[in-house]
Amino acid sequence: MTAITAEDATKVKEIVCEILELEEDEVTDTSLFREDHDADSLRAIEILASLEKEFKIVIEQSELARMVNLRGVYDVVAEAQKAAV
Amino acid sequence: MTTLANGGTTTASHRVVLTGFGVFSSIGVGAAEFAEGLRVGRSGAKPITAFDTEGFAHANGCEIVDFHPEKWITALDAAELGRASQFSVAAACMAIDDAGLQVEELREQRGLISVGTTDGESFDLDHLVESRLARGPEHMDSTIARRIRAGRLSAAIAHELGLTDVEAITIPTACAAGNYAIGYGYDAVRTGEVNFALCGGADAMCRKTFAGFYRLGTIAPELCQPFDVDRKGILTGEGAGILVLESLESALARGARIYAEVLGYGLNCDAYHQVAPNQQSVARCMELALENAGIEPDQVDLISAHGTGTKANDITEARAIRSVYGDTPPRTVSIKSMLGHTMGAASALAAIACSLAIVHGFIPPTINHFTTDPECEVDCVPNQAVAADLRVVQNNGLAFGGNNAVVMLGKYEEQR
Repeated sequence: MTAITAEDATKVKEIVCEILELEEDEVTDTSLFREDHDADSLRAIEILASLEKEFKIVIEQSELARMVNLRGVYDVVAEAQKAAV
Repeated sequence: MTTLANGGTTTASHRVVLTGFGVFSSIGVGAAEFAEGLRVGRSGAKPITAFDTEGFAHANGCEIVDFHPEKWITALDAAELGRASQFSVAAACMAIDDAGLQVEELREQRGLISVGTTDGESFDLDHLVESRLARGPEHMDSTIARRIRAGRLSAAIAHELGLTDVEAITIPTACAAGNYAIGYGYDAVRTGEVNFALCGGADAMCRKTFAGFYRLGTIAPELCQPFDVDRKGILTGEGAGILVLESLESALARGARIYAEVLGYGLNCDAYHQVAPNQQSVARCMELALENAGIEPDQVDLISAHGTGTKANDITEARAIRSVYGDTPPRTVSIKSMLGHTMGAASALAAIACSLAIVHGFIPPTINHFTTDPECEVDCVPNQAVAADLRVVQNNGLAFGGNNAVVMLGKYEEQR
């Protein structure tokens, strides 16, 4: 399992909260964007696009299925970072 | 669809017919070539050259590669028009020629010009933004800046043709805009408010729209495959379709060729979601069109689907069709398989395609089709055109934001 660095995780959380218009203390690693935070599919794409830009990585559209909460996003970003090396 | 004055009565209710077509598409220019392209199942797909595609893993589209606006645009300087306006003006000139109308006669009459669009002159906007970012605002080209108002797509037609007693309107209801424009013209001619209407849609390829759809994961890597289980999305396209609408009396009096009759239309806007189509509202729009045209579902011989080739559209549209038409819906084809998604021009070009199908007695195929998606239970007439006697054809246009518009077209028959 590839892990994300603490610094990158903080950045990811910042991006997600910015896009979903949430305070950082409202979101946990496992709270669901759609069910718990009212996010829709366009926001998910916005998150994906911002992560690609921030970390200079490529995230396949199919990964959206895993990017349902912060933990899912951390994993996807970590794997994409590894693939980019 | 308009609310009539005088407590719902009107002194005039004309039958409305289509007598001229102007066509610019990646599979054919002009009605005859377009009809031939539809019949043989021509594909307009090829690598995009309109803008720099570096950074995209794939970039096919349905461009018009040898467009010479100056062949059609003579009064105005074509360089003062953006590419979408060039398409709309050239198509309007072609449509008038095709209808056998003299511009001098049109100038004496009251008319309507309605042109639908998704992007207006976004191709020019791409360039302005690019030069501003790269070199600063003082380097934005003033000629390009003058071209960008979307209102010019319709106003430039009036300008080119010297039509002064016309309302010129650009309707920006995205990918259903062509049908909106035809519906507006239908009402104006039907009620006798105008003697003629030049209606349709126009759009030019641009990076903004390509990148937007790409980011949504809805651009197909190579081909557009509506209703196929392996469909991967749209291909962006460009072009224009302009239709001449006039009353039946007017067409008969001047001995005009009648392509087809506009029987009615329906439109609604559900604002359900920015990009996701809503099945119930799409079905409702078709019902509105049937009602407005006085047509029963079992009278419809063919549906020209919006059929973009995205997962979401094709499933939603097929289900909506079945909810209105039951388990044996009319054959349902997508010409976007051939000419890509021409955005605001799409439903106008499709309305022309429907009329040509009626005139020439064939159903255009849905090309690039291998295996029908079991969730899209329609007969999409895969790959090969078939002969058919078509009396009533339904033309669907569905757009982002839940802007839906459906036009009903019929074979012209003296008694209806």
